[in-house]
Amino acid sequence: MHIVFSILPVLLFLTGLFLLDSFKLVSKSRLGLCIFWGVISALISYYLNTWLNSQLTIGFATFSRYLAPITEELSKILIVFFLISRKKIGFAVDAAVYGFAAGAGFALAENVFYMFALGHQPGLVVWILRGFGTALMHGGCTALFAIILIDGIQRDKHLILAVIPGFLTAIILHSGFNHFFLNPYIQTALIFIVLPLVFMLVFQKSNNSLQDWLEIEFSHEVELLRMMQQGKFAHTKAGDYLMSLRKHFSSEAIVDLYNYISVYLELSIKAKRNMMLKENGFPLIVEPDIGAKLEELKQLRRQIGKIGELALQPLVRMKHREIWKLNQLKN
Amino acid sequence: MMKVNVTISGNTAIIGVQGRIDTITAGEFEASLLPLTEKHAHLVVDCSQLDYISSSGLRVFLMAQKKLTATAGKLRLCNLQPTIREIFDISGFSSIFAIYPDLQSASQ
Repeated sequence: MHIVFSILPVLLFLTGLFLLDSFKLVSKSRLGLCIFWGVISALISYYLNTWLNSQLTIGFATFSRYLAPITEELSKILIVFFLISRKKIGFAVDAAVYGFAAGAGFALAENVFYMFALGHQPGLVVWILRGFGTALMHGGCTALFAIILIDGIQRDKHLILAVIPGFLTAIILHSGFNHFFLNPYIQTALIFIVLPLVFMLVFQKSNNSLQDWLEIEFSHEVELLRMMQQGKFAHTKAGDYLMSLRKHFSSEAIVDLYNYISVYLELSIKAKRNMMLKENGFPLIVEPDIGAKLEELKQLRRQIGKIGELALQPLVRMKHREIWKLNQLKN
Repeated sequence: MMKVNVTISGNTAIIGVQGRIDTITAGEFEASLLPLTEKHAHLVVDCSQLDYISSSGLRVFLMAQKKLTATAGKLRLCNLQPTIREIFDISGFSSIFAIYPDLQSASQ
């Protein structure tokens, strides 16, 4: 019974978050990887905390309030940082789920460890507090880090600069929890009430942003590709803009820029179509040439170089979300 | 601006859609289309007067298709104007939906 109360809440919460992901942005394999990393990070933290505690003479209470939140959050967030830097996370929804999964894995390992170490010594209430309080806190802190980080990235902040606010938030909340400013029962109840509300708001905002993104970009991209396929691109504003670049680029480079726009639009439309299909539970359309098209885009990107990419920014942005979107086609 | 006109013929509902289905009108279109999936096995959407469709509109079609597939029903689209047809072709949705050249062939 003890293990059920200490482990089940965080798993149920994670399942709930996974099911709320209406666009199916979260991949099960990456979710499993995040949980696994959470378990590993708990082990790393355990050994690191034990060693640090033996080196310092600050006492367990001070250590758990000020240093443990830093080491534990640092080890948990690494997987989120890795996934975001590899452009595998695009929106707050998938960021939150992956982040929470890492925290959940950490809490699972921690609670199982305590259970083996302490046996049934502490009463059921302690395990309920750990399951509903500590475990959700671990998941919540890492999820908040991930949400704040992806928001910073979308605002074009440098990856390192975008990390700082989320990391500080996670540490402060974790440290605040470990201070027990409030009665543990009230603290646990607060987490249990506030965390779902925060997630609901974040998910709603993220879904709205995703829908707006689909709506605005999809129609524009389809229209532009339609004009290109009909040979009417030169009559569009985008065509005018490309023509204006002839002053600065050679004819061969202009052809590459044109092809880059065309291949990018084609892939971008397909990626968005797949998202719409996934949202409604349809199987994705299998296109054998997707790999070749992605490779072609990569080659063209290399050929046009940074200057070409910058010149095309008014027409084609190749930022985090665009690369994430194209990465979706590889799955 | 969007208008929907529904005609019932047996267990088939024929929906004539006029104007634009975009982010503003998609909700209204969804409210007109989805309840019909619960009452009728087959839906035929006559797009002869549909001038524009955005991703929001395509998502409503997907929702309707999903609901009808669950009940072994069918969603058929017909009379797509060339520009609308191109949107379906370019995005790859032509292979997802049953598209017919006219109302007669879609209703059979």
